Amino acid sequence: MNLSAKVSIPTQVMARTVGDETVILDLASGTYYGLDPVGARMWQLMSEGQPLTAVCDTLLDEYEVTREALEGDILRLTEELRAKGLVSLA
Amino acid sequence: MNVHYTELAERPLAPVHGAPFHQWAFPDGTLWTQFLRQGAGYLLRFPDLADFEVSADGRTVQGFPAPGVTSPTVEHLYLNQVLPLALSRQGKLVLHGSAVDIGGQGVAFLGESGRGKSTLAASFATEGTRFLTDDGLLLEWVDGHCMIVPSHPSIRLWEDSQEALVSDSATVAPAVSFTTKSRLLAGPEIAFCQEARPLQCVFFLGEGESEAPTIEALRPAQALIELVKHSFLLDIEARDILMRHFDDLTRLTELPIYFSLDYPRDYRGLPTVRKAIVEHVMKKYVNIAT
Repeated sequence: MNLSAKVSIPTQVMARTVGDETVILDLASGTYYGLDPVGARMWQLMSEGQPLTAVCDTLLDEYEVTREALEGDILRLTEELRAKGLVSLA
Repeated sequence: MNVHYTELAERPLAPVHGAPFHQWAFPDGTLWTQFLRQGAGYLLRFPDLADFEVSADGRTVQGFPAPGVTSPTVEHLYLNQVLPLALSRQGKLVLHGSAVDIGGQGVAFLGESGRGKSTLAASFATEGTRFLTDDGLLLEWVDGHCMIVPSHPSIRLWEDSQEALVSDSATVAPAVSFTTKSRLLAGPEIAFCQEARPLQCVFFLGEGESEAPTIEALRPAQALIELVKHSFLLDIEARDILMRHFDDLTRLTELPIYFSLDYPRDYRGLPTVRKAIVEHVMKKYVNIAT
């Protein structure tokens, strides 16, 4: 996986924003996940169908972080979500 | 409640076609309930006890006792298990929780089986603080307020809770064949609130590891996950219903009313627990009112 990837959200996955966090429900497995405010913002941008590199560009404007660290965080979160079946890669 | 229920003659529980789309089991693996599709509706099977046929819209339920199973047993299953599921199929919000009326405010206790929901409600009700439900917490929005709707006026308790909390003169419903829990009917000994009450506070019950009553606020996302976990849902595969349910719960989490509550599981300590709860609720209510 690299930053040119886009993610899509499978039909069995629903997410809702509550406060500044996001709760993701996987209907297929009946399990629930929570994303903290930063993860929630990444999820929001990813779910708009932008490539991860565009997600990274947007977040660089919003958080005080180096590109290298942010790219690592985005790839880690995406891989974790993919492994749990909460996103698929396009 | 908007469910038309009929108990019919006993019949053998016939073999079912196809695999259940969902099931409930006890922690030891014993099967408790099988959820099957039957035409457009549902068959809920409680092995060796009863079948319940639920219409596709959740408005009609027919109960069929297995041979030799008593009517009170089937009624008990209907009230505590099947009715909340049928209501969920109608799109209503039903959670695993008990509730009491503290100063006109609805206060709910949610938790897994065995966490003490009924015991806590009974502890209030035997001291004159009326209970609204002992499980099957039905919520409805009325004029912008989320209301707790009273359920059946009875509380189910294990024998030790009953002995510790309830006097011998309380009315006990006929015994049922699948549990040693007694169902105690509301009356002079156990105060029941027949009117809906606005939902003011929700406490999620902990495991009993605290040495004293401990109340902590939950973040909205934590509350949402807990609410989802404690939901009654008949058809977990009906995406439209699940989406609406998830949206309803998300709306509920906009209210700042969610707390964890833990306390030692000791009947002698219950007055202290009740006091902590009442003080918390009243303080919160005063803060909102002023």
